[in-house]
Amino acid sequence: MRKTSSANHALETTDRRRFLKLAAVGAATAALATEAVGGPSHRLRRRAHRLARRLGMKADRVENHLIRMQEDLRRALQKPVEQRDWVMVIDPRKCIGCDSCTISCKAENVTPPGVTYRRVPKIEFGAFPNITWIFMPANCMQCDHPACATAPGVPEGAISKRPDGIVEIDYAKLRGEAARAAARACPYSALYVDDGSFYTENTPHGLQPYETRDFQEYDQEYNRTQGGLPVGSGRKCHFCLHRLNQAMLPACVTTCLGGAVFFGDRSDPQSLVSELLASHRVIRTRESLGMEPRVYYIDEPIEGRPHLSCTVCHP
Amino acid sequence: MERRETVPQNCPGHFMISRRNLLKSSALLGGSALLARQLDGISGWLARAAADALTPAEAGELARPENVIYSVCLQCHTACPIKGKLLDGVLVKVDGNPYGHGMLPPVVSETPPVEAARVDGKVCPKGQSGVQTLYDPYRVVKVLKRAGPRGSNRWTVIPFDQAIDEIVNGGNLFPGEDPVPGLRDLFVLRDAALAKAMAADAKKVAEGTMSVAAFKAKYADSLDVLIDADHPDLGPRNNQFVFQAGRIEHGRKEFSKRWLIDGFGSVNWYAHTTICEQSHHIAYKMVTNQYRHGQWTGGKSHMKPDAVHAEFIVFFGTGAFEANFGPPAMAEKITEGIASGRLKIAVVDPRFSKTAAKAWKWLPARPGTDAAVALGMMRWIIDNGRYDARFLENANRAAAAIDGEPSWTNATFLVRIEEGRPSAFLRASDIGMGDADHFVVSRGGQLTAVDPEGSEMPVEGDLFAEGEINGIPYKSAFQLLYEQTQEHTVAEWAALAGVSEADLVDVARELTAHGKRAAVELYRGPVQHTSGYYNAQAIITLNLLLGNPDWKGGLAAGGGHWHELGDKPGQPFNLKTMHPGKLTAFGVKLTREKASYEQSTLFTGYPARRPWFPHTDDVYQEILPSAADAYPYPIKALFLHMGTPAFAAPAGHRAIETLRDPRKIPLFIACDIVIGETSMYADYLFPDLTYMERWGTPHETPDWPAKMSKVRQPIVAPLTETVMVFGQQMPLSMEAVMLAIAERLGLPGFGPDGFGPGQALTRPEDYYLRMVANIAYGDKPGEAVPDANDQEIDVFLQARRHLPSSVFDPARWQAVVGPDHWRKVVYVLNRGGRFEAFADGYDGDYMAHKIARMFNIFVEPVAQTRHSMTGQYFSGVPRFEPVRDALGRVITDEEFEFQLITFKEITGGQSRTIADYWMISELLPENFVLMNPADAARHGLSDGDRVKLISRTNPQGVWDLQNGQQIPMVGKVKVVQGIRPGVVAVSWHYGHWAYGANDVLIDGVAVPGDPRRATGLCPNAAMRVDEHLQNVCLTDPIGGSASFYDTRVNLVRA
Repeated sequence: MRKTSSANHALETTDRRRFLKLAAVGAATAALATEAVGGPSHRLRRRAHRLARRLGMKADRVENHLIRMQEDLRRALQKPVEQRDWVMVIDPRKCIGCDSCTISCKAENVTPPGVTYRRVPKIEFGAFPNITWIFMPANCMQCDHPACATAPGVPEGAISKRPDGIVEIDYAKLRGEAARAAARACPYSALYVDDGSFYTENTPHGLQPYETRDFQEYDQEYNRTQGGLPVGSGRKCHFCLHRLNQAMLPACVTTCLGGAVFFGDRSDPQSLVSELLASHRVIRTRESLGMEPRVYYIDEPIEGRPHLSCTVCHP
Repeated sequence: MERRETVPQNCPGHFMISRRNLLKSSALLGGSALLARQLDGISGWLARAAADALTPAEAGELARPENVIYSVCLQCHTACPIKGKLLDGVLVKVDGNPYGHGMLPPVVSETPPVEAARVDGKVCPKGQSGVQTLYDPYRVVKVLKRAGPRGSNRWTVIPFDQAIDEIVNGGNLFPGEDPVPGLRDLFVLRDAALAKAMAADAKKVAEGTMSVAAFKAKYADSLDVLIDADHPDLGPRNNQFVFQAGRIEHGRKEFSKRWLIDGFGSVNWYAHTTICEQSHHIAYKMVTNQYRHGQWTGGKSHMKPDAVHAEFIVFFGTGAFEANFGPPAMAEKITEGIASGRLKIAVVDPRFSKTAAKAWKWLPARPGTDAAVALGMMRWIIDNGRYDARFLENANRAAAAIDGEPSWTNATFLVRIEEGRPSAFLRASDIGMGDADHFVVSRGGQLTAVDPEGSEMPVEGDLFAEGEINGIPYKSAFQLLYEQTQEHTVAEWAALAGVSEADLVDVARELTAHGKRAAVELYRGPVQHTSGYYNAQAIITLNLLLGNPDWKGGLAAGGGHWHELGDKPGQPFNLKTMHPGKLTAFGVKLTREKASYEQSTLFTGYPARRPWFPHTDDVYQEILPSAADAYPYPIKALFLHMGTPAFAAPAGHRAIETLRDPRKIPLFIACDIVIGETSMYADYLFPDLTYMERWGTPHETPDWPAKMSKVRQPIVAPLTETVMVFGQQMPLSMEAVMLAIAERLGLPGFGPDGFGPGQALTRPEDYYLRMVANIAYGDKPGEAVPDANDQEIDVFLQARRHLPSSVFDPARWQAVVGPDHWRKVVYVLNRGGRFEAFADGYDGDYMAHKIARMFNIFVEPVAQTRHSMTGQYFSGVPRFEPVRDALGRVITDEEFEFQLITFKEITGGQSRTIADYWMISELLPENFVLMNPADAARHGLSDGDRVKLISRTNPQGVWDLQNGQQIPMVGKVKVVQGIRPGVVAVSWHYGHWAYGANDVLIDGVAVPGDPRRATGLCPNAAMRVDEHLQNVCLTDPIGGSASFYDTRVNLVRA
């Protein structure tokens, strides 16, 4: 029997569209971060291969933005610290509000109840059935002019700027009332006071070992048991400085399920964050305060959903 | 636009939990010396640091390969590959495994572990919190025996050996109560040859080809092993021992089946699937079953859109970002597509989900009307000629091949119409055109025989065909589907679903505007209804109109896995055949699943006493009610493993009545990590290991295009006590309990010669390491992984330096698989599994791993089955059904105003996530009764008001724990725009009254519950009890899914 083609095949074709898209991403499969950044993909892929070789990995024929950013990090670490310019870029279109960053951060930085460096505020707008939700991950913005550092009651040197942009807390100095003053001064509510509590205190087996372990912050070892620092001190996100020192990305970046969080050295034009900042409309929240925060948000719409920007509430 | 905030973890300003000062408990649950030792270890490190002796390398402890063990999560069933990071033997951080789906794409397997240690992948907040499930202060670590009536929350710690002796031997185990039968009394059919012969003849009796009298005469000497000699098809008394697993995954599935079915000889092994999404699996199976030797078999139970390339995806119910299968694997494919403009999505769900938050269109359909939405879309698609006719007209493999289609359908096959009912396919033999395994299509009025598998002679048929031949009226399968869609106009279908016609048409148009690069996805939402199977069938059929199977961006079979059981060529250990003395278990299962009522000696006309489920299995909600009714037979012993039917099944409160009654469940043993809502009723509670301390080989979601075999393995030293079984030290666990019972009873397939002479199965790793070796060798010769090199061996040993010899002994492990296989096993363990390169999941425009087969538009085996209660035939094509009870009566419950639905937050897995204080304290300390502002205003309700849920079958709105305690189903209102008016939603995994939420007495000492674990409400007791059966929830008669979303409730201010 000879096969005949059907007469009533009436599907719309999108071949042209698909062709263009394929041309953009190449024959590779997902080209995940590549499409998002809108950059010339072949260059990125070459770089990924280079990076993969250096990591001892074979690139998997598709881009992995985490691997790429880790390579960006290695490059930055070869420079003197004052030449590193850390920034975070968040794409709320890709944030699914899963809070994985929040929990990863808690485990990584051994933060107690009520101290949560990283949060994902979730806001609902509109009325049934025309509604939308926006998820806006937020942590210490590592401002270049941090209000916390100069707030009345905060001692000189308790909060300082590192040369790479990270706002550093001296746990021995930022304590008690001073810490509370710094927390009040932060317009992002990103600074907390460690009250010495534990999640597993007063439970049948007592404190569990994941809470009593040693951890590193600001290049120092800490242990919170027996009231050791930073109990009583002000605490906040430090871009996982201890991980950066090992050329590892902040814990909120690597665990982001939606691939919404980017990190790197703004002074390096080759870095992914530099490309993102150059190729997208970005905003910073509460820009008007003049604090020069180092966390940027991509401010672009999703088709079909009313576009929301955090500047609606925080101009 | 109105602007308002929702959900408690809102814009900065955090929620501080109130912590009650609890009494310090003495370490009644065993307290672990081990933990103290581990703490010492940490202090030692700290001491060195203080002395400035910390080496630079130690500063990066968590990035060092010797502090990393890869394994597999189990906070939900997605079973994500994880990386466990250790500090002096303590698990302190969980990340995603960069070799697995924790990265998109992952690093390739050739990457050495020393490099991968420095690359972290992603895992969801539940996965991150796994540390807290492991180190849950309410973990049980020693055996508990009840010290009061069941459910009294009074326990005594007893030695493991005593507990095993008591359950094996039975006797007067509880003062003042009836004697308890021991397992020894149930292990009666022990002769493998006799079992095999009886099984074959019992089948003949059921089929009516052997009389009961003949059977009794033939086995006159052995009739005492049967439950009922007059009903040999019920099988031996061994069947009166029931194993009910809530969450059980591959690895443990196979181990426990070897033990219960092939070792003990009982057919009654169950997983929990019908309270999850079984009707979805059954619908997929039915649509993908192939006709082989007179049977429809081999269907695939799960497919997913290829979200990496799709341009449009419609999600019915659960989407990609909260539950499903599951966010770490699915999310980024979709967010990347949306942000880049490649992909648009639409969501059909009465609740606005996080997936809907990214959707181009949200259709807030009435719960359970998914088939109406799908049939409405199909009507519009067919009426407008926007289906892929070229694909659908292909009637066999050869025709499909010419079009470059890996798959085809039976759309053109002709179906006999008998008494006005489409009954079965016309066979070529019916009209003298060929044999009975071939079908018939019509082309321009001319009938042609077709062999669906025919690869030489291409056959196409007309989609629309009807006529009569040899007095047999017929219609094509597609014609029948079309007629079903014509039952209503598109506007009427939209109205039934409560969505706008324009929206429905827009979605249908968009769906058919992307060629093969579009797909429709469902999981649990549409199917946990009494109409679940038909809803799923309708949704899957939408995909077939697109002709999308096996195409990139279409419907994908997933990469699958390498098989662990060892029955593939070249695999070293065939665990199926390495079973001397293996018993043939036989008989009708307690739930009457995979069994035909008509082909049983119990058939007495309609209705049956309780429903039969010929097309499904693991009918979880039916286990305890069937035992309570002793239909088809009473049971004597129940082994509950990692399950909580009282809490997690709809109308679970009725199960409590059964569990409380020793006459209905004479012996009840449970194996759990904590005293849970159901295990609290057990006679004996055996501590289990968490997934961080044990083995498993979970399979990957079909969302992932590449092949993946995940291996769960011990990351930390076990927290349960060490016991001695078969002369071996091992941690208390499900496996230890099973091995100990096997030792006492001499179960075949266990012991020093369990796998064969000199091949022991006396320890868990005897089994699981062989599985790992099978995975290492792959499914065909030449597929083996490389050997681990010396550096990898070193990493492997160093990373396990903290594990005690009761778990890890390198010489013993190597001896299990033998030196020839050892380095390959290490290679797999060093990566937490075996992973095909992501890119190899694709092949040009196609998925590399194809299903490549016929899909069924008309499902013949369903059309040929009668409802066991009504005697009515089911339908071969999907249809829209109202809510029905077991007798098929329509339920409206109009006097109740709201339809109740449930959902999962991403922070809520099963019960165990209530132990995860990071999430409970910082993200969502309690759940709510979500309702629309219009409904709230009408009732004068606002945020924080407390309301009680009442329903027709729970007018009091309480959980009666049958121990004097009543838990009111009261929760706080949260008013949200994102829910359809007339619907209220309550998220799952709050409302605990056990699992560390309550006070218990152990050896006379009170262990106080933790109020953080007792917040919110569990709405399951409001869910509709079937008023005919009285002790079970409503159920889908075809797929067996428990109805979670068909209940109407009223809210009463509390």
